[in-house]
Amino acid sequence: MGPLAPNELISENTNFLFAFLIGIAFGFVLESSGFSSSRKLAGIFYGYDAVVLKVFFTGAITCMLGLLFMGLFGWIDLDMIYINPTYLTSAIVGGVVMGAGFIMGGFCPGTSFCGAAIGKIDAMVFIGGLFLGVYGFAFTYGWWEKLYLAKYLGEPKISQSLGLSDGFFGLILILIALAMFMVAEWAEKKFAREAY
Amino acid sequence: MKPLKLLGMFIIPMGLIIAAVPQNKTNPYKLTAEELLAEANTRNQFVTADVVADMIIKKDPALRLIDVRSQEEFEKFSLPGAINIPAANLLSAEYTDILNQDIKMNVLYSNGTLASNEAWMITRQLGYENNYVLEGGLNYWFDAILNPQKPASTNPDEEFAKYDFRKSAGQALGGGGLAAQPAPDNAAPSARPAVKPAAKKKKAAGGC
Repeated sequence: MGPLAPNELISENTNFLFAFLIGIAFGFVLESSGFSSSRKLAGIFYGYDAVVLKVFFTGAITCMLGLLFMGLFGWIDLDMIYINPTYLTSAIVGGVVMGAGFIMGGFCPGTSFCGAAIGKIDAMVFIGGLFLGVYGFAFTYGWWEKLYLAKYLGEPKISQSLGLSDGFFGLILILIALAMFMVAEWAEKKFAREAY
Repeated sequence: MKPLKLLGMFIIPMGLIIAAVPQNKTNPYKLTAEELLAEANTRNQFVTADVVADMIIKKDPALRLIDVRSQEEFEKFSLPGAINIPAANLLSAEYTDILNQDIKMNVLYSNGTLASNEAWMITRQLGYENNYVLEGGLNYWFDAILNPQKPASTNPDEEFAKYDFRKSAGQALGGGGLAAQPAPDNAAPSARPAVKPAAKKKKAAGGC
């Protein structure tokens, strides 16, 4: 039956309503996990706080398991899920830029809005920078276009490129995540900071 | 450490289950005549000229235009970036990799839609996906994109948005003076069909 929007089981406006509600829930979880503190976010790079890794990887794995099981039960057609097309060069360049911005600013786009919502000035400055970047990119698009569209790979899945079934790759990813969580907890003890 | 153990106790068994169950591979590789007829009747294989023009202008790397007319006609005029696979040579082995793939969105075109739709049906019968047909063919392309008619002043705003887009697209693609602007959202009728599943996918932005 699902997904809801591409099958037109719900209208575009209902879709926006869902997006609004999910967005509020997302913001609530971000704030209650402490993501509106830039020190907590930067902690992942220095090892003293791995909550970013834990929350996002737990979220990703929960979502993956949910989708795989719903696909198994026939509740959702996994072929219709929107996958961002892969442009390899811009993914790498964008990842580096995003990572550098993350560590310098202490926020990522979502958490900066969380921080701004509770009145943090550094978060508001970060949002200003975000818009500068967006407009800067848009107005100089001609310079970047070649780079931006380079190495188009379609919509590949890692499981496909490795020749594994989706479920088996899911299991591997779960094991990787648990191993990462263990390393992260070890690092949290090793690089512990008193107060931040 | 305790929450981690709890998490592991829950998700490792789930992972084992999902790894052990066979994947659902019931999709038929080849279509029966009835299925092909039903699919042709949905007309989902057609992509409008506006969507194609928008993709050409945006230099969307997913687009691959395939001219199914004869080589002479192709040499006289073809759409920007198109490759020529004459309908008569459609089944030749050298084109299999182009027609049967899951990366690009192939748009077949001919003068009208008859030849390109025939070619599409053959590729569908072979079980290939991601092939589409330019709606109206080159004839409609000339009318709509290269030579658009100004709508009457009583028309709704969308018609004017579409006209503006077509005019600038025509100038960009036909060698006119003004630079083309990407289509406003309400002018391009719907998002381009996504590669692989024929159903429409909506773009979503996300991340942390």
